[in-house]
This record gives sequence, C-alpha cells and structure tokens, in this order.
Amino acid sequence: MLVRFWGTRGSLPVAATAAIVQEKVAAALLAASGRSFADIDEARSFARAELDFATSGTFGGATTCVEIEAGDPANGDPYIICDMGSGLRGFGLDAMRRCGQGHARVYHFFMSHLHWDHIMGFPFFVPAFDPNAHIIIHAGHADAEEALRRQQEEISFPVKFEWLRAKIEFRTLKAGETYQIGAVQVELMEQHHSHSSFGYRFTDAEGKVVVFSTDSEHKMDRMEGEADVEQFFREADLVICDTMYSLADSVSMKEDWGHSSNIVAIDLCHGGHAKRLALFHHEPVYSDADIARMHAESVRYEELTREHDPLEVLCAYDGLEVAL
Amino acid sequence: MQWSSSQQQGCVVASPDGRVDEATAEAFTEHLASSVALAAESPGKKLIVDFGGLDYMSSRGLRALTLAKRQADAAGVAMTLARPNEVMREILAISRYDKLFSVTDTIEAAI
Repeated sequence: MLVRFWGTRGSLPVAATAAIVQEKVAAALLAASGRSFADIDEARSFARAELDFATSGTFGGATTCVEIEAGDPANGDPYIICDMGSGLRGFGLDAMRRCGQGHARVYHFFMSHLHWDHIMGFPFFVPAFDPNAHIIIHAGHADAEEALRRQQEEISFPVKFEWLRAKIEFRTLKAGETYQIGAVQVELMEQHHSHSSFGYRFTDAEGKVVVFSTDSEHKMDRMEGEADVEQFFREADLVICDTMYSLADSVSMKEDWGHSSNIVAIDLCHGGHAKRLALFHHEPVYSDADIARMHAESVRYEELTREHDPLEVLCAYDGLEVAL
Repeated sequence: MQWSSSQQQGCVVASPDGRVDEATAEAFTEHLASSVALAAESPGKKLIVDFGGLDYMSSRGLRALTLAKRQADAAGVAMTLARPNEVMREILAISRYDKLFSVTDTIEAAI
C-alpha cells in the first residue's frame, strides 16, 4: 500500500510569495557559503541532504486530497482518493497520465465531509470530463451530491455539474459497517465537526491499514469517547490526523472550530498502538518554518510520552509518498 | 493516583502524585473539581496545582486542567500551576498550555 498526499492544507489553499521564496534562497545561499557545485545535480544533492525542509522545500498549499494506492493496477484495481480539495487537480492530471499507461479509469472517492476546502477541487478534476471514466463518490453524508452540484451552479462556476461526461455515482455509507471497495475493506466512523465528518479505515489484502481522520474535534466533555477513536486507529500502519491547532488553541480560541491538535493525535495513536502518524490539515497561516517547528515539537512530545513501541511522527506535505 | 491537599496562606495547594493518563484522568478531574470548590471557600480564593509530584501528563490531564479553570473562573478562583519538572515544562510548552496558565517554579511564587 502506498499513500500519496496531493493536498495537506486546511481551510484555504495558500501559495508561497516572491518574498517567501527569496528568503529560502537567501538562507540556502548562506548555508552553502564557501561551497561550489560542479552541476545542478550536485546542488540538488546539497539541498536535499544539508538544508532543512522548510528552507529547501515546502509543505505546500493545496487543500485536502490523499490518494491510497492499493491492490495492483495491472489487475484493474481502481483509484482510491480521500477528499476533493484543491490538491485533486494535481491528482487528476497525474491520473490521466497513468490511465494512458493502462490504469483502470475507475475512481472511488471517500469524503470526510462537504466543506468547501474538501470539495473545491472537483470542478477542476479532468477525469470528470472523460466519458470513459467511472467515478463513485462514497460519503457518510446523504447530501454529498447536493454539495457538489451546488458548487457548480452558474452563480459560482461556469461549468455545470451536468456537463461532466464521466459516469458519476453517489453512495451513502454507514458508520459501523464494513465494505469491500476496490482492493480495500473500508470502515467509517462519525466525527465531531460542523455538519459532521467521517473518518475512514482502509485495510488491504495484506492487512496493511491506513486511517484517514481529518476535520475531527475531540471535545473536552467527551473524552471518555476517545476509547472508540483509539479502537478505530488500532494498530494502523498510518494514521492521517487533523493536527491544525495547538492543544491550547483548540480548547480556547479555536474551540468548536472542528479541529484537533498534534498532542491529542499522538495520544490517540499511542492508545491505539498505531505505527505512524502523519500530521495533517495544516493551518493556512502557518509558514513552512511554523509547520516544521510543530513537527519537531510533535516528535519530542511522542518521545516524552511513549510507553510502548515508538510512534513514527511524519509531517504531511504536498507530494509526500509513504510506502506501508 | 495519589492526591493530597493543604492550605497555605489562605490558598489551596493541591498535590497530585504520579502520572495523569487515560487510566487516571477521571480521578484527576474529580480531584481538581473538589479542589476548585475548596478554593472557592478559602480566604485567598486561589488554587495552586503543585506539579512537584507529577511525572507526566497526557492531553487528557491537560484538558482536565482547562475544565477546572473554567469552573475556577466561574467561582472567582485564580489558578496557578507550580513546580513542573523538566518533562512537564516541555509538555506545557509544546501544548502551549504555558500561555493559558500561570506557571511558577515554586509554591511560594504562586501564592
């Protein structure tokens, strides 16, 4: 199983400005002081090996879209995608390339919820214009179709939903049930968020498990319910978790905003004996340095509070691939 | 978990001992609530949670502190955290709880 992150920001897409890029270049030049590079490959190697990620790279700015590669495309196994944030555009273009190489033109979407940042990519999803594509949109919400059609009404977007050429179906899933879809078994769990959200647990034929749990607030007055969340996360190979705010913010200024923190995510993963956690749904006002700092602090918190096996704490970025 | 309580100069000093995790969070929450109630009746109207005996606290414990602070605010009780060890200092910083609570090195400084 491979998990590929196409969009990792929450709320709103962001992009680096000229000033931000100039700062990174200046920091890189300073770090390279006194060095010379024979060619661009040497310079690239230096950047990868010796610069911190916030300087040499970026966590990106596209909103939520995560692809799960399971099964075998050569056997016709379909695409599996969680959410349709602005990162979906990049996935769609890549999928067209892979379909050109023989990948089945079948796309199973699993929607955490229907807020704008999680559906905004669909009008730009090129495979939706492919008459040979089959798109199945799974959601715990019965009003998923209404949300997608509405964002393509003329007042909001010049291309109507009805003009899309792919065969598009909507299926409502129930929390507590197990479904075999494509190459994975799928379970879902209702989460606390405005108009509700759903987490998904995917298990492939080899028993590898990835949990996608974004836009989920763990309320202080329902902490005893977190045993259910730990059960949902149990022994997962990768948990992708909403870690948008600090714990302090999530219980004060940002209470009831529907999001979680790195601290709670780590505690839940420890409780569920998960193997890896990907920090996700990054706050759009955070710079790359802010996110990198949050990642380092999260790694340290995991070390301080670990009772059993280590939990590997990753920080999701646009373009990250995690092989399980 | 172990819990002891004393009064110093009109303030309630609550001293949990051990770890605050999933297993002990409920007891911690209940003891905190009782301590806030006690502090509301005390002349100083102040609760000092003495972290001196605490090894570690998970997010369950941190959030229990927030619930206690809401109860304290409603009762006009000031709440301070005192004597965190190095691990707790880091946890308070990482969680940014050091921005939500007054934290002192000694009980005397909290009084």
